[in-house]
Amino acid sequence: MATATDEQVRGAHLGLLDRFPWRRIVLILLSIVIITVVAVGAYKTLTLPADERYTATTWKNFIVLGLAQGAIIGMIALGYTLVYGILRMINFAHGEVFMFGAFGAFFFADAWEQSGFLDSNPILSMGLLLVIAMLTSMGVAVLLERIAYRPLRNAPRLVPLITAIGAALFLQNTARGFFGAQSRGFGVPEALDGTWTIFGVAVDRIQVVVLLTVIVAVTSLSLFVSRTRTGKSMRAVAADSEIASLMGIRVDRVIVTTFAIGGLLAGIAAVLFAITFESVSFTMGFRPGIAAFTAAVLGGIGSISGAALGGVLLGLITSLGPALILTGYGIPSSFQLKDAFTFLVLVLVLIFRPGGLLGSGEAEKV
Amino acid sequence: MGGISSRSIVRTGLLAGAGSIYISLVGLYTKFADLALVGEQITLGRVLIVAPALVASYAATRPRIVAGERRSVELRSGVALGAVVGLVGGVVFALSLVFANWFGVDRIREIFVAVTEPLLDFLTFDKGVPAGLPILIGLCVAGGVIGGFARTAPAVVRKPVSVGVLAVVLLGLLQRIVPIVFVELGFEADWLYRPASGLTILGATVIFAIAVVADALWNREGGRTRDRFRATVEEATAARVGLFVAILAVLTILPLLLGTVISEVLGQVMIYVLLGLGLNIVVGYAGLLDLGYVAFFAFGAYTTGVLTGAFLNTTTGAAEPVLSADLNFYVAVWIVALLAAGVGLLIGAPVLRLRGDYLAIVTLGLGEIVSVITASKWAQPLIGGPQGMRGVTKAELFGFNFQDNPQHFYYLALAFVVLAAFVSWRLSTSRIGRAWNAMREDEQVADAMGISTTRFKLLAFALGGAIGSLGGALFAVSIGSLTPASFEIFVSITALAVVILGGLGSIPGVVVSC
Repeated sequence: MATATDEQVRGAHLGLLDRFPWRRIVLILLSIVIITVVAVGAYKTLTLPADERYTATTWKNFIVLGLAQGAIIGMIALGYTLVYGILRMINFAHGEVFMFGAFGAFFFADAWEQSGFLDSNPILSMGLLLVIAMLTSMGVAVLLERIAYRPLRNAPRLVPLITAIGAALFLQNTARGFFGAQSRGFGVPEALDGTWTIFGVAVDRIQVVVLLTVIVAVTSLSLFVSRTRTGKSMRAVAADSEIASLMGIRVDRVIVTTFAIGGLLAGIAAVLFAITFESVSFTMGFRPGIAAFTAAVLGGIGSISGAALGGVLLGLITSLGPALILTGYGIPSSFQLKDAFTFLVLVLVLIFRPGGLLGSGEAEKV
Repeated sequence: MGGISSRSIVRTGLLAGAGSIYISLVGLYTKFADLALVGEQITLGRVLIVAPALVASYAATRPRIVAGERRSVELRSGVALGAVVGLVGGVVFALSLVFANWFGVDRIREIFVAVTEPLLDFLTFDKGVPAGLPILIGLCVAGGVIGGFARTAPAVVRKPVSVGVLAVVLLGLLQRIVPIVFVELGFEADWLYRPASGLTILGATVIFAIAVVADALWNREGGRTRDRFRATVEEATAARVGLFVAILAVLTILPLLLGTVISEVLGQVMIYVLLGLGLNIVVGYAGLLDLGYVAFFAFGAYTTGVLTGAFLNTTTGAAEPVLSADLNFYVAVWIVALLAAGVGLLIGAPVLRLRGDYLAIVTLGLGEIVSVITASKWAQPLIGGPQGMRGVTKAELFGFNFQDNPQHFYYLALAFVVLAAFVSWRLSTSRIGRAWNAMREDEQVADAMGISTTRFKLLAFALGGAIGSLGGALFAVSIGSLTPASFEIFVSITALAVVILGGLGSIPGVVVSC
């Protein structure tokens, strides 16, 4: 309705280009094209000759893989969402925070793999790795806030964004200088090789671990935010930082806490990511970082459950999408286009529903 | 000490030490250990040993506002304070070396790849850990003293000395370029530079003296002339045009002086200037933060390739793309620019309503989609996919070959840059430019004042896209073959850095910052 009134008010004195509802027509055409492309692709894929078709097991694997990766993405997305909720700022360097956590865990995993500790005590060693990665990422996130973002707290909005991009590049190059440019293999305990059968489906053990860890972490985070005093003050600052400070909440401390929590979650995600892909490198933060941001936007940035949901949805879309839609068109190696899918989802969400799925769709913040 | 608490002094010193340790771990010392600036002893690596303490003490002795009054630090306490900062930093740094030596370099190296025996030797001046440390600490103290001095000394001393030192360091860093210019101009450069190395001690002294004298003259006589010069340039169009022509003349003769190797670099710089100019329209004028500018760059490069009859790289040799034309470069380039403007409209239309950081992310996403697609097998039949294309036109014109001769290419690029700069200059002073300006400052107000934000946003995207694609087209010509690796996100970031460094919305800024 709002658009129609806008059109009426504006149309009086403007030219044809503005009076005509271009935007709406473009959007409607765009959605028709997208729906057709997806529907035709899916139909073609599913009606391929039997020997070229994916089997039911393959589809199940796609779904489990999508869930596990989506869960990791969701963990990183929580970091974006928490910071955005409080500072209205996109912490572009969050992917690098995640990368540092992975490196922190890597050096211990490497040493323990050689000493045999990783295989003899898989649960203890994985727990310790998680703690190490969490602490590393938390440290980097807190330093980042202190050095790069705090001095710019009241600057115009584009300034922190550009600083964040700069910080991301700085952290990436630091990691390259510190740890070298080549990617390194990440050791995984033997106990996590192979599969477990759950409800008749064979599932990679690592993916089970990933999903369980994420469920525990997200549950404790939402309990923390909804039940504790600190969580309450975080919500207060997110709602209105000025009034929160008048009510005696130390806004600076809440902001640091937020960054620290984001870092902790990124550390967990880093270990899970590293054991899933069994490697770490200084560039590993960029793509998951963007994917996580997409997930946060998809679910409605600023909302915790939205980020988790967005992560899982995005994971499913990127693991199922290329297979389901592109295979039908006979596109070779459709999985190379997986990342393009991530970005396409991001662009489409921002165009059609900038508030995200669970967001309120506030146009003004956009 | 000088009204500054000892706690803050120690903290600054600790920061200086942390800075030194950071530089060691990142590997900058190892990288620059042998890059001589002056003589044999003063290398860039050694300057970097002094630098953290210098910077820290320069920052620590800044004037403070006490009880509403600006209080600067006095010379004596400034120098003493700098010395303490340097001492603390140096001791921290030295202790970290003692630790490294005790713990074992090889064990640290498993994590921090830059920590090596040569690094330790370099930092202890080949004397081993306990013996070399006093020198290291001494250098840090010297750095702190210099930093304190540079802030607190009377302006008569401070300014000329700083200018002199900066001139020496700058010319030392330009050791690859300046001697070539000298030789091309027919001068001897042996007295100034040691062969394939930094300045000679004589050369450094001469440069220092010249810089000091020049600075003194500039300050005493120059004040009025400088003001008048500035006023003229600001007021009279003729003077501004004159300045512009002078700069253009320098840019024109530059490659003749610098030889082919550096001309090649200059040619690439010119491509970035072009990208910067294009992005400046989108980001600087219209205030739309575009992080996916690489999309236009890639589009321009690949379209040029396809339109001018380039081949696909395949495992068996070369193949014709499914769609191809064999146009002259000078025809093709306009088609490329037009098409890119169309792509700009396509990208611009759906994101019209987004602002600020969301716009940045969407454009980043679009840019990444382009680079993922160029590198995918799907794009193989048209643009070569992961293998890329080769045999892009050499854009021959009147017997000039713009691909194999970097000096000629530089002129081609310069011509495009001048064209783009002219277009954006005319635009910025026109009605369109003012509309962009208004839109950037406040979109709602601009809308209310009757500026069609839709139209001007689209125009900015289209023009920015066209200029960016020209950059891509030039890139394709200069390098002759295209691979997806050239079209990564860092192109967007570099172009953005160029624009920001040069000051948003300023044309000379874009050119200079490259």
